[in-house]
Amino acid sequence: MTRNQKKHVLIQVLRHCCQLLVLAVMVGTVYLSLYAHYHAARALEDEQFTRGFQGKVLLAIDDVIAPMDNPQPLLDSFKGTLWSLRFAGFDLTDPLAAAEVIAGSKTFYAPLLISIVLPVLLALVLGRVYCSWMCPAGLLFELSDKIRRVLPFAEIKPGQVKFSHGNKYVFLATGLAFTAVVGLPVLGHIYPPAVMSRLAHGLIYGTAIAGTITILVVMMAFEIAVSPRWWCRTMCPGGALFGLLGWIRPVRIRLDAKRCTGCRDCEVVCPMGLDPVKQSYGIECDNCALCLKSCGEDALIYAIGLPGRKRAYIRQRPAPRVSLLHKVGDSIRKRRRPIASITAVIVLLAANATAYAHHILGLPHYSYKENYPQVPTLEYPASTGPYDIVMTSYPGVPTPGEAANVAFYIRNRETDVPFGSPVTVRVLQTATFGRNKTILHETRIEPLDKTHKLSVTFPEDGEFIVELTVDVEGQPEVIPFLMVAGQPTATTSILAAIGGGLVVFIITIRAIKIKARRRRLIGQSANEQLAGRAPVTA
Amino acid sequence: MDRRTFIKDSVITGAALAGAAASAGFFERARPTTEAVAGTVRDVPLRPPGALVEEAYVQRCTRCMRCIDACPNQALLPLDATFGKQLEGTPAMKPRRQACMLCAKIDGDFLKCGEACPTGAIVKIRKDEATVLSEVRIGIARIDHELCYSYNNWSCGACIRACPFEGKAMTAGMWERPEVHEEFCIGCGLCERACIRYPQAIRVVAGKVSAEIGGRE
Repeated sequence: MTRNQKKHVLIQVLRHCCQLLVLAVMVGTVYLSLYAHYHAARALEDEQFTRGFQGKVLLAIDDVIAPMDNPQPLLDSFKGTLWSLRFAGFDLTDPLAAAEVIAGSKTFYAPLLISIVLPVLLALVLGRVYCSWMCPAGLLFELSDKIRRVLPFAEIKPGQVKFSHGNKYVFLATGLAFTAVVGLPVLGHIYPPAVMSRLAHGLIYGTAIAGTITILVVMMAFEIAVSPRWWCRTMCPGGALFGLLGWIRPVRIRLDAKRCTGCRDCEVVCPMGLDPVKQSYGIECDNCALCLKSCGEDALIYAIGLPGRKRAYIRQRPAPRVSLLHKVGDSIRKRRRPIASITAVIVLLAANATAYAHHILGLPHYSYKENYPQVPTLEYPASTGPYDIVMTSYPGVPTPGEAANVAFYIRNRETDVPFGSPVTVRVLQTATFGRNKTILHETRIEPLDKTHKLSVTFPEDGEFIVELTVDVEGQPEVIPFLMVAGQPTATTSILAAIGGGLVVFIITIRAIKIKARRRRLIGQSANEQLAGRAPVTA
Repeated sequence: MDRRTFIKDSVITGAALAGAAASAGFFERARPTTEAVAGTVRDVPLRPPGALVEEAYVQRCTRCMRCIDACPNQALLPLDATFGKQLEGTPAMKPRRQACMLCAKIDGDFLKCGEACPTGAIVKIRKDEATVLSEVRIGIARIDHELCYSYNNWSCGACIRACPFEGKAMTAGMWERPEVHEEFCIGCGLCERACIRYPQAIRVVAGKVSAEIGGRE
């Protein structure tokens, strides 16, 4: 290994460290903000708020911060997500967020423009480095690229559909135009770093995360199955914006044409799907320096220079020497699957719909986890016929075995008169498989103080349906309310475990089959050889 | 570029745009913002103090969570899907869980959420009483006279004690019956949080209660 190659390996280590650092900032900022709330509410003094992993993290932060005289300025200087971040007292906003806000509101807000100065300067000097050196989603998609490389070992050929790199500029332009016309910001909803950052925030704060996981999983699945690095290469509006900003960047990767042997190793490793020999100085290149590492001849170098200089040193391209890596790439490329892309798009739309449907009723149950500094209460609104109904429960998440007070307030929308007749309520426990179990048989409840009150004891952790039957103009109307007692194992996690097990099982079976077939083939050829060599007898 | 490539690229770009629009809730039917009635369903979410009127607010808000992190009382949380996907993730307040205490006893001259907002969706508001009373309109407290204990042969007054502008925004009548004076009520929700009745007898409502309530121009 030459000295230069050692340097290139070091660059890659640095790059991954930088990515992980951004990831740590993304998660750490949320924890610090949560800590700030707990600190203000003195919640850390209470044992029930410091249980579990999250409690340990908060206590670890407390060990560092509590001895300080005045920690408030420090706590105030770390807020937000990667979409817009307050980092060490600096306001940093993603230029795409700013573009979207300006397009949506058609106004310029000075603090917003100031907060994008640093990221824009970075992009002007270094180009799309945000994509390769910082973006946490880039890390995720690099992982999916790794998975792609493992798949051929299970004799699964991942798709190699190619899309134009120009798509992302079209997407950026149409997305901003859409926002400008409709007044609804859209790009931020699927921009992976923003989605990831919101997901981290939602998971740590225990608020709704509907859709975010779906978007990331669908993108990763699409990249694994259909098109390598599809999002970063051809679709990312943020990448497009940073690329455009980096048009005149002085730091570029350049080629020393005298050294290049034309082996095309750099083309195979380029995560952006570029040909570094020809295109690395363009706006598509994100200066990740992987091509530098791949080049055995040190022909590719980071160079600082003024933009606009003709690249005279690219002379004729030598005849390509086909490497082993490139052969593998070629063999994968031979099969193309246009149908897969269409399927993936349908899945993207459908999955989003289901993720949304999960959160129809009020706050999702994980918003009511017990380590809030406040007493959780539950409140679900509904309406039927002329009546508005509010169901309340105290506590919001009942403890199994302890009575919970459930109250229904039914009132006529037009006359403002509370419902004065009795109602019927029954409670069911939802079952993932089979029929729901009845916890409380139909009970008639007389109105008391203008509300209908009921004390329910849930027998165990789980999801329950409190079914209210109201008499609306002679017709019984049934209204179900979802309630969660304790901390049930989510149905989705059970299904995920089953699905994961299934995938492992299929891969194992497949691997065994492949192995067996290879053995058979080897045996056959050995037999043939034996047969060929065997002396003819009789 | 051949026709095949063009079609493929158009389809994938269109699909990505459709996916983004779907995630933003564009294809969802807009929810009717009927006049909210105290004591029943809240039709418009309660926004942070100093938030722009709903329409401008949604255009400006990037869901960066900075105001949520900055709120010293943790009163703000990203909205769930209750009010539709278009508003999902935007910061809102549920007073029953935690109400706005107007950054009382916290260092700084401005309300923290407006200070944190990078896009101007929440306006920076100075913390003195006169400015807060004139600039902040989160909503207005409405009493459900059917539920309120003080209007139903008991005497309570918990909400009046909780009001930061007691004597202005809220006064006690006979038997501690609360009376809300709309010209001073900023909709902080502390009364709703304090109400001892389940379901609560006093509630902050926003939206088309009147033309200028539920945000500022």
